[in-house]
Amino acid sequence: MFFCEVSRIIVTSDETTGSGPAPLLDLRCIVKVYQTPAGDLFALKDIDLQVYPGEFVAVVGKSGAGKSTLINVITGIDRPTSGEIIIGGTPIHSLKEDQLARWRGKNLGVVFQFFQLLPNLNLIENITIAMDVCNTYPVREHEKRALALLDQVGIAEHGYKVPAKISGGQQQRVAIARALANDPPVIVADEPTGNLDERTAGEIFDLFENLVEQGRTLLVVTHDREIAARATRQVEIADGKLQGIGVRG
Amino acid sequence: MKLRTRWRKIIKDIWGNKTRSLLVILSIAVGVAAIGMINNTMTMLRRDLFGAHSRGNPASVSLYISPFDTDLAGAVEAMREVETVQAHRTLSARLIRADGAPAENITLDIVPGFDKVAINRFSIERGAEIPGIRKILLERCSADGLGIDIGDTIIIETEGKQRYSLTVSGIVHDLYLIPYNILGDATGYVSMDTLRWMGEQAYYSRLDVIVAENEGDREHALAVAAQARDRVIETSGYQVYRIAIPGINSDPGEHWGQSQINGFVLVLQVMSVLAIFLSGGLVVNSISAILSQQIRQIGILRSIGAVRSQLVGMYVANVLVLSVAGLAMGLPLGMLGAWWLTNFAAGYLNFDVTAITPDPTVTILQVAVGLVMPIVVAFFPIVSGTRISVYDAIYQQGLAGDRQEGGIDGLLAKIRNLHPPVMLSLRNTFRKKARLAFTLITLTLAGAMFMSVFSTRASLTGQINQIARYVAFDASLSVTPGLTRASVERTAMRIPGVTVAEGWVSSGGILMRADGSEGDEIQVYGIPYNSVTIDPLLIDGRWLQADDTNGVVINDDFLEHAPETAVGSSITVKIADQNRTYEIVGIVSKHLSGSRVYMTYDTFSKATGRSNQADMVRVRLDADKIGSSAEQKRLAAEIEDRFQDAGMSQSSSQTQDEIFGSFTGPFDIILMVLVIMAGLLAVVGGLSLAGTMGMNVMERTREIGVLRAVGANNQAVRQVVVIEGVVVGLISWLLAVAVSGPAGVALAGAVVYAVFKAPVNFQYSFEGLAIWLVVIVLIGVFSSLAPARSAARLTVREVLDYE
Ligand SMILES: Nc1ncnc2c1ncn2[C@@H]1O[C@H](COP(=O)(O)OP(=O)(O)O)[C@@H](O)[C@H]1O
Ligand SMILES: [Mg+2]
Repeated sequence: MFFCEVSRIIVTSDETTGSGPAPLLDLRCIVKVYQTPAGDLFALKDIDLQVYPGEFVAVVGKSGAGKSTLINVITGIDRPTSGEIIIGGTPIHSLKEDQLARWRGKNLGVVFQFFQLLPNLNLIENITIAMDVCNTYPVREHEKRALALLDQVGIAEHGYKVPAKISGGQQQRVAIARALANDPPVIVADEPTGNLDERTAGEIFDLFENLVEQGRTLLVVTHDREIAARATRQVEIADGKLQGIGVRG
Repeated sequence: MKLRTRWRKIIKDIWGNKTRSLLVILSIAVGVAAIGMINNTMTMLRRDLFGAHSRGNPASVSLYISPFDTDLAGAVEAMREVETVQAHRTLSARLIRADGAPAENITLDIVPGFDKVAINRFSIERGAEIPGIRKILLERCSADGLGIDIGDTIIIETEGKQRYSLTVSGIVHDLYLIPYNILGDATGYVSMDTLRWMGEQAYYSRLDVIVAENEGDREHALAVAAQARDRVIETSGYQVYRIAIPGINSDPGEHWGQSQINGFVLVLQVMSVLAIFLSGGLVVNSISAILSQQIRQIGILRSIGAVRSQLVGMYVANVLVLSVAGLAMGLPLGMLGAWWLTNFAAGYLNFDVTAITPDPTVTILQVAVGLVMPIVVAFFPIVSGTRISVYDAIYQQGLAGDRQEGGIDGLLAKIRNLHPPVMLSLRNTFRKKARLAFTLITLTLAGAMFMSVFSTRASLTGQINQIARYVAFDASLSVTPGLTRASVERTAMRIPGVTVAEGWVSSGGILMRADGSEGDEIQVYGIPYNSVTIDPLLIDGRWLQADDTNGVVINDDFLEHAPETAVGSSITVKIADQNRTYEIVGIVSKHLSGSRVYMTYDTFSKATGRSNQADMVRVRLDADKIGSSAEQKRLAAEIEDRFQDAGMSQSSSQTQDEIFGSFTGPFDIILMVLVIMAGLLAVVGGLSLAGTMGMNVMERTREIGVLRAVGANNQAVRQVVVIEGVVVGLISWLLAVAVSGPAGVALAGAVVYAVFKAPVNFQYSFEGLAIWLVVIVLIGVFSSLAPARSAARLTVREVLDYE
């Protein structure tokens, strides 16, 4: 049904066919089909997307366009039906569940729309748990590092509270701090401001800009075009298809 | 060093679910404690009771012989088959209380040399080692029970109504007696010289024997005793009245209560295994709840890099923390229980506890059950619960929730017409099938066990009452040989109030084998065919008739040694040195006191040449019912006086009550503990139901919100939860009823066999069924009250916050 030109031509990501830097995220011919009672539903149709180091890419589109599906496929939370995803040289579509989880923990910071913090851990612990499960950094440094990250997102003073005791915007800051816990080069976020008011959303994007300045690569889904305008590149998705690749910077 | 965050999460998870965690810890503790209590008690019992018992050289078999001296004992001891013998003289007497309290039965025990007792060696606790003339040593239980101590003077009344003052000069500890606190018979030790001084003749009446080999073999011990009788005792001109293995159904060399103790321990073991099953169920129940409650958290953890083994490890650690806590609680609790039970047993069975120490192998078993079992049973739920993909964990859970809401909407539309709480409760009950199954299994087990305990009780009591049918008198008394039946009955009838007096004759006999050799000892009774003091329960054939000349009735005990015997077959019995052949016309139920043959007076007269005589008299105040304990006692004293005054008896009378005192005492304890254990099971079952209800309420937070949104008040919300609890209880009751039959047969069978060495005559207890119905409804209500209250407390706002 879909025909993908690059499919199976490029085998490894390290080799680049053209000039310039290699893409950090390289999606090739991604197709995602959901089996539904009403028949197959093509949520992603032949997605090709390259994101280069230091980019801040905003993925925009209407509700139901396939944004979340795209993000989930990139994070490995969901599997593409076909296609290849190479991130930082790792072909993540070929990793097993556990390998994927560990890889994601170390290389990809994920920020969810509904924050997804662990309710019975305090904010510091919500960050150190990420370092703990990935065995990064010595255990005694975990708390110091978590506090530093909380400081970076501006809520260090709440460190010993549980998530339910702080506001949604603050929770999302914690989620961002957690995403940074293992110092991943790439941060991926699905509607991180979807549950926040306009002002708070702006503050979250301020944080994202800071991260880009630090040299991280960001891929953020939003349906708010105004906010998306703050990214270095916008990518639009409609009905599972990319609507022409936007330009850098 | 800082604790890793994931371990801190575990602690917070446990702390955050305080109630459920506590339930699991408690149930593990109960299982561990039960194992510790029972097995440590067993170990201490083996060391301090059975060990001490066998160190004192227990007798294999006792022979009751016509008056003999130590020469005869020596001759028996010289037999190759015999290892050791010990002669005893036992004399029944009355202990007259100075304070006017009723006289007590006391048995005076005389041995040839107090310092060289070879068999059933008692020990001197305090005071003199050898009773001097006009001195007596008292068994410590008797001394304690009677409040008598060294230096006190006691008055002994012999059967000839003569009274003698004896000074207590020492306290003896004798493990081989059924103690005073159980039997109500005191025991004292005097010298033969004292006995002579009391006007009694100096002779021995009982010979205890330890066989040289096959010490525990019942048949062998009886065979050796028969050989001693035939080759040594009777050839020397003495008569053997009775051969008996000491104890209540014990094997040779065993403690007198061994069978009862075994039965008791068996029941406790069954209960502890059950407690372990139940706590295992609770662990599974609880960990499943945590897992289902934490599906999203599992997804989050995976999304930030946790691998499967870490997740499994975390939840295993969760269970491990609970197990360690349960074990830490259960170990000392079990030791405490063992301390209590051992001391209780020591007081009851009259032995000394040397030390309360845990048995290392028991501790290992407890650790295995407390630590390993929970992890093993929780492993499958953990492995399958952590298998969920990140996608499903984070996204699908919400979808499932939405679907449930749809269901509720549909239901809410429907329940406008029906009684809402009932409808909702029923629907809830069946939603979480696995969890429901676990709760049901737990409650069903508890219920089935509870009912089985009651059936066991009914069967045991039934079995005991069956024996009572063969001693259907208020009092009975042995009379002087040679008296006529008519004079004996007449004398008895003259006692005011007596409406029934029957003279019975009896004789020892030997069952002859087909090859003409001598077989087992049996007891032969010549009785009125229409006797009122026996209420035979026929298991085959018919009872005696007036015109029976050759027909006899045997008891079921008879069949133990001659299983091929049946109604219609004939037996040859040697009575008064003559072989006689009889036809069996009927078989009656167990007596638990050896093989018996009942025949009419006439048949008996022909066999023995003793016509119209009586050996004992059995009396009743009322032909229709047995008198009360007090009435029996009064009558027994009266008949004893009358016959002694008339010179017609020198024996002590017996009441039906006394005969049963020794039987029922231990059973009462078994039954009491059974009921306590069943109650414990009910508690664990209730805890499990409470846990489940709590989980259900939590999961249904949103549903409750919807209920409230449509205007349900506190009362209605509580009702929904409580009805669900009761419905689960009732379902478990139905299942338990189904299981209680076979479970009851198994438990009652095991207990009865252990105690009586006889198959159970099973009686199902509908009483237990009814009681459990009440209990289960109460459990249903009470275990759902707390969850119901917390459900009613939820406000609509909290409900919306929940997701
Ligand atoms: N698990 C699923 N099963 C079936 N269809 C799905 C599933 N998840 C998403 N979809 C469908 O795929 C399409 C894309 O969804 P999604 O990626 O969530 O869109 P967006 O995030 O842009 O709103 C939608 O039509 C949605 O209904
Ligand atoms: Mg989306």
